[in-house]
Amino acid sequence: MRKIPCSGCSLLCDDIIVRSDGIFVDEVIGACLKGKERFDQVTAKNRIVTPMIRDDSDLKKSSWDEAFKKVTKLLKNSNKPLLYGFSTVSCEAQLKGLELANLLNGFIDSNSTICQGKVLNMAKETGLTLTTISEAINKADLLIVWGANAAESIPRLLNKTLFSRGKFRMTGREIKTLVIIDPVKTASFGVMGVRDIALQINPGEDIDLIKVLKEECCNPGSIASEGVAGIDNDDLKRLLLHLTGAENGIIFIGQGLLKTQSKKSVIRELLELVQIINVKQQKGRISVIPIGGHYNMLGFDHVALSNYGKNHSLQFSNNQLIDTDDTIVSKIDREDFDCSIIVGTDPISHLPQELSKKLAKKPLILVDNKQSATSRIADVVLPSTITGIESEGLAFRLDHVPIELKKIVNPPSNIFSDEEILNQIIEKFKLK
Amino acid sequence: MLVNTVRMIDYDQVREYSIGNNETLKENLALGIVNPEDFKNLNLSPSLNLKVTSKFGEVVIKVKQDKDIPQGTIIMPVSIWANQITGFENNELIFKNIKVNVEATRDSVLTFESLLKSIKQ
Repeated sequence: MRKIPCSGCSLLCDDIIVRSDGIFVDEVIGACLKGKERFDQVTAKNRIVTPMIRDDSDLKKSSWDEAFKKVTKLLKNSNKPLLYGFSTVSCEAQLKGLELANLLNGFIDSNSTICQGKVLNMAKETGLTLTTISEAINKADLLIVWGANAAESIPRLLNKTLFSRGKFRMTGREIKTLVIIDPVKTASFGVMGVRDIALQINPGEDIDLIKVLKEECCNPGSIASEGVAGIDNDDLKRLLLHLTGAENGIIFIGQGLLKTQSKKSVIRELLELVQIINVKQQKGRISVIPIGGHYNMLGFDHVALSNYGKNHSLQFSNNQLIDTDDTIVSKIDREDFDCSIIVGTDPISHLPQELSKKLAKKPLILVDNKQSATSRIADVVLPSTITGIESEGLAFRLDHVPIELKKIVNPPSNIFSDEEILNQIIEKFKLK
Repeated sequence: MLVNTVRMIDYDQVREYSIGNNETLKENLALGIVNPEDFKNLNLSPSLNLKVTSKFGEVVIKVKQDKDIPQGTIIMPVSIWANQITGFENNELIFKNIKVNVEATRDSVLTFESLLKSIKQ
């Protein structure tokens, strides 16, 4: 039996017990449904175990040599390669991806750009008060889950932060207040107790609530009697009381807050609210933790920032990073690419159809371990190991804490890690 | 009405790719969940589907009812079907609060293969 971190989601639970003979995972104890699915992926029927090349209209199995030759040929003919994904691979693979983008004079971006990377980008202007899961366990007395269905997207988040007993929170759940703000009564609402606050906000009106909270912090007594955004006056006052009175409050920022509302950034308004509260707070503070889904989405931001000084949307020219306002969305929309390398993600399913159609028009090289909509339209598919099970590597947890992922079983024969595949593409491209 | 695309453990795309097939993909992902009042107001029945049209595109889906969904809102699991009606503005992807027109229809839900074909074309 071994204790290992799970790469099922960005919480990277480090208390999963596995029993394995090095060939199969025989037993997994302590994993949530998402974690279990991750371990099941080893033998899943959609697992890709051989390289594939498109021949006319069909994908056909090939040797690694043939696949790498095809990749090199496509990249040699490309002047504007696009590299995208990198949120479900190790930091080592992310670094190789950046090296490849530099070598190819390409554009590279991660899923973070369209997800929680927005919070980091906004933090460049507003600042950001972060905290860790350990702090949440040991010190938090207020947890606010805003625009996220934590129970289903990061299934063990509330187990760890709300139901745990910590050094300064020995009574655990009894002393922690949970606030959920969401337009839909999600599964997360099911864990609420009598002292918690469930706020079913009107869709798209989070920004109005934040503005009122900011105003009330600066000029108490300004809450309208009818409430705001579908939340009544009493609940608003209770929310404000908790926000301004918590010793250690944490706001978990979900995807529901990432979209602009009323032409304003909800994230900016929220980060400003946190700043206002923290300036006024005498005895405690409020922090935020953005919750993304993919297990190493944050890793790309850290690796890119520490190596190239920019955390997302990197354009290389003459083997140097150049300024650009482009993101993965604008690059695909303008069709400003002639070939794409997709690593560990499924943009054909995940992006709006207008973008996926444009992406599918140009040659697409996929590095991934499972079949998806993207693998079905790819021109070359390079199968990779499952990081955290079949190969090791570093990943950043949702609270920016680096976690070392372990290898517990051998991968199928002749399958390389994402890092090794990207490295081989680099080496073969240099040789040509 | 407004469409919100969300990740749900019971209607999860990754899981369906992993353990399902093209039929279960369609069954578990090409769907919307609405409040029973909306279901009634839209004159839906179990044999009818819902055509959802946004300014970005349209899709036909099956409909389920859940009293916890607020009236006026359709919840769709993140999937290739939901992304037929999502879009982008000012470089920002729009997955939440998408204004849509809806109507009950006897049109069939497109298969995964048909959607892939339309994307590749």
